[in-house]
Amino acid sequence: MKRSGPQTRAVAGPAAPGPGAAPPPPDPARDPGRTERGPGRGAGATRPRLGFRHRLQRTDASVSPYLYVAPFFLLFLGFMLFPLGYTFYVSLNDWNLIGAEARSFTGLENYRTLLADPNFWNALRNTFSIWLLSTVPQLLLALGLAHLLNARLRGKTLFRMGVLVPNVASLVAVTIIFAQLFGRDFGLINWLLGLAGVGPIDWQAGTASSHIAIAVMVVWRWTGYHALIYLAAMQAIPRELYEAASLDGAGSFQMLRSITIPALRPVIIFSVLISTIYGMQIFAEPLLFDPKPGSVTGGAGRQFQTLTVYLYEQGFREFDFGYAATIGWVMFLLVVAVALVNYALTRRISSTR
Amino acid sequence: MARSRVPRLGRVGPLTYPLLILVLLLSVFPLYWTGVVASQTNRAIGQTPPPMLPGGNLLDNIGRVFEQTNFLKALVNSLVVATAITVSVLVFCSLAGFAFAKLRFRGRQAMMLIVVATMMVPTQLGVIPLYLMIGELGWSGRLPAVIVPTMVTAFGVFWMRQFISQVVPDEMIDAARVDGCHTARICWHVILPAIRPAAAVLGLFTFMQAWNDFFWPLVVLTPDNPTVQVALSTLAAGYFQDYALILAATAVATLPVLVVFAVLGRQIVGGIMEGAVKQ
Amino acid sequence: MRWRDPLSWITRPADGSPAGGTRRVRRGRVLAATVAVSLLATACGDSGEGGDGTIELTIATFNDFGFQPLYEQYMDEHPNITITEHVAEYQNHHTQLATRLAAGNGAADVVAIEGDFLAQFTAQPQNFYNLFDYGADELEGRWLDWKWQQSMPDADTQIGLGTDVGGLAICYRRDLFEQAGLPADRDEVAALWPDWESYLEVGRQFVAADTGARFLDSGPLLFNAILGQAPQAFYEPDNTLIVESNPAIKQAWDLVMEAVEGGLSANLVQYSTQWTTGLQQGTFATITCPAWMMAFIQSQAEDTAGNWDVAAVPNGGGGNWGGSWLTVPSQSDHPQEAYELAAWLTAPEQALSVFQRLGNMPSTVELYENPELTEFTNPFFHDAPVGRIFTDAAQALEPQYQGPSSAAVRLAVQNGIRRVEDGQQSPEQAWETALGEAVRAAD
Repeated sequence: MKRSGPQTRAVAGPAAPGPGAAPPPPDPARDPGRTERGPGRGAGATRPRLGFRHRLQRTDASVSPYLYVAPFFLLFLGFMLFPLGYTFYVSLNDWNLIGAEARSFTGLENYRTLLADPNFWNALRNTFSIWLLSTVPQLLLALGLAHLLNARLRGKTLFRMGVLVPNVASLVAVTIIFAQLFGRDFGLINWLLGLAGVGPIDWQAGTASSHIAIAVMVVWRWTGYHALIYLAAMQAIPRELYEAASLDGAGSFQMLRSITIPALRPVIIFSVLISTIYGMQIFAEPLLFDPKPGSVTGGAGRQFQTLTVYLYEQGFREFDFGYAATIGWVMFLLVVAVALVNYALTRRISSTR
Repeated sequence: MARSRVPRLGRVGPLTYPLLILVLLLSVFPLYWTGVVASQTNRAIGQTPPPMLPGGNLLDNIGRVFEQTNFLKALVNSLVVATAITVSVLVFCSLAGFAFAKLRFRGRQAMMLIVVATMMVPTQLGVIPLYLMIGELGWSGRLPAVIVPTMVTAFGVFWMRQFISQVVPDEMIDAARVDGCHTARICWHVILPAIRPAAAVLGLFTFMQAWNDFFWPLVVLTPDNPTVQVALSTLAAGYFQDYALILAATAVATLPVLVVFAVLGRQIVGGIMEGAVKQ
Repeated sequence: MRWRDPLSWITRPADGSPAGGTRRVRRGRVLAATVAVSLLATACGDSGEGGDGTIELTIATFNDFGFQPLYEQYMDEHPNITITEHVAEYQNHHTQLATRLAAGNGAADVVAIEGDFLAQFTAQPQNFYNLFDYGADELEGRWLDWKWQQSMPDADTQIGLGTDVGGLAICYRRDLFEQAGLPADRDEVAALWPDWESYLEVGRQFVAADTGARFLDSGPLLFNAILGQAPQAFYEPDNTLIVESNPAIKQAWDLVMEAVEGGLSANLVQYSTQWTTGLQQGTFATITCPAWMMAFIQSQAEDTAGNWDVAAVPNGGGGNWGGSWLTVPSQSDHPQEAYELAAWLTAPEQALSVFQRLGNMPSTVELYENPELTEFTNPFFHDAPVGRIFTDAAQALEPQYQGPSSAAVRLAVQNGIRRVEDGQQSPEQAWETALGEAVRAAD
């Protein structure tokens, strides 16, 4: 199974994004199961000893895979695939959980309403803004951090574990802590800014300020994780390449551009995909950042209400299931679109360097 | 050779350690600060400058957490849920991963494609029908509502399948078949021992993710039967914000995972890094 | 990084070896454990029935009704009953009640419902037990008439037993008033503001005196006070939404805008950490004080005891904000016991005890003649005669009808005020947005 050569194909690392969605592999088209040979090997090629045994083996070979896959697939079908499809059906209805009115089929009416809904567009803008503010710094910092961690360090396990700590801490706990740190009157960050002469900022009240605060939370949480996977990919790059390049007179930065980044390309793609998927679905941070307890509006002016929070508000406060399902479905389309665009862009950027 | 300002690859520059230590401090500071606040009284929190050193009230506050709220129940619930999910993911996804990797059957490619495609789907999408289903099944507000829908994950299958197809050589399986083993035997004796490292990592990650899950438990559970994350958010949205209490609960909530991390952190880090590259 | 050498795992003997056997047994055990755990988790539902005939009652409330010591007492007197209380945040509590009623299970045996949400639930009387069937008709004279009427979906059905009534007063900080050169005595203070305009005027004086504190905690609370005196709020009794047409709402809004623009507000979000700390540290001098607000202040700002006082609210002291009922959802398996608990908790003696401990003002009429209530003074509030103040308020108030989405409409307006306080929108913009949100919420 060992292959030599500088090929560094990134296989999906164990992703632990909160929402539970993990990304697809970098090259879905290429069948990673290349170890499978064609037909002709295995039981069929040997001479059968006993007819019964042979038939048993044959039945076993043909039936047992289904048995192995069955529990997984049944649960998967029932609790993952079916709800996905059914959401679309729900979105085609005027479906209120506690209303006295009967449920009625309304076709694409919900979608029309959604596209005309200023709160939806607001949530969309917020989601994108937070995503942009968090993803870009995250990945750049992770690259830098990986570079630092790549050195011959003493206590490298400690450092590696240390940068991962933010990722394993409870998300709710972290959000609560940061909401307090960013508090207007008694938050630590405003106090520090005060020492530097900057007036207290009402982080939760403003749009830009709240987005920055939430982006800081996301960056804090995920930079270490991305740094580790970049580090792994960096360490797989053979030293000979760098030695050869430096003999040719290449500077550090040139080596970074021509060797490191292209080799990191699959991992960068993976990384961008993870943060995109997470960023589009961000929920706990905007929900719990609101100073008003029990609020689901993402601030008095919905200034940091993201799509998932809007979905939650519509589905589980207003109980308008049809509308919430519509939001969910539109979110799905958006995630797919953005992920594809990201994939194309990152591929392009990484390959031209 | 050109001199450079950036440390040469592999070499420790003068800034390396200070920067790394700074990063470490930043990573840990919010958690440290939680400990500080959790060990103060409520009154002390509103002071300026804010307290930076731990006070003496930690045990007090933690005691109050368990007295005044059902946090213990939340901890137990989370433990039950996370364990059940982890075990079931390991079992079912290993079996399915084995089948996808090494067995041949009709529809294999199609199924795998569906699995991979759904890895990208946001969980939120299916939340409404899932909620309705849970209601029909009568599980509303009970733990099965949180356990069963996540008993298998697309990612788990993908992960095991990748691992098995790379690590277990076909020759082993063919040889076993030649010896007359049927599939189940192959599974027990050939596959299971081989997947231990991958299973360990998948188990760890599934456990942590199940422990930290928030959105779905929030939707389907209730404050009288919560998981830890839901209980925390209930506390934070409480009648008044007794911050010492809330952060003490936060500390209690984070501690188990941190302990697991301290013990098994190496494996977790290794898992992430090994998973990112294949040679 | 390489995968560990797979051959090292494979070369172990593949049958009967301890490793393989242990593994299989271990897996089997683990599987069994999982199944067992899952079954256990499923089985651990709410039976509500103890082993030997004890009845477990659950009661769901929000904020602080002050019932804890009463539960102890009740359980002592009724050894076969155990009571468990679940306290949730105000919004979440009512949202959950709605969900559980729709889901058909999960509601507690006794559930508190607040005035803004009551109409939403009287619209679904089928989800509650008719308390007349359990003896509630005997209790008819216990409460203020309007309190009794509001929880009746129709003439033959009663779903709720009243707990407290809000009333209105202004709680103020004597020391801050003195610092600003204003009188501190409560009667003199009340004389300063015969109406809301003069209240704002006092506010401006206070701010001009530059004590470092603001005059009031937040716009939304002032809004609730002003609107709480109007004959109508967001709905007509026939459930027509009148948020746009009711002049009282726009008047209240405009007064609040004046206050905000005059810098009178400390811009604190009610129940947030900042607000609580503001209570502790005297960031603001006055706060709208329905009776239950006193409970907050006492429990959150212990160090400020004696510095507070209570003065009558402008416009003669009438008005109301808040007040709840105890109901018994029809999912309960023990309606009789639940009813009896609710009836006992709202009985005059218990209501009086809550008042004396916490400050929540009973809606029980007979207490208004009871000197233990009417002459009660609260040392925390500089011995203010809170019994007299709130009795007068309770007897003077004109009940305001709240419709099915009153809570959501109120929230929309409050968010609008907050946006202006935060500087995110101008008053006109905020009003437009708030109206839009209110109309949509009421849909």
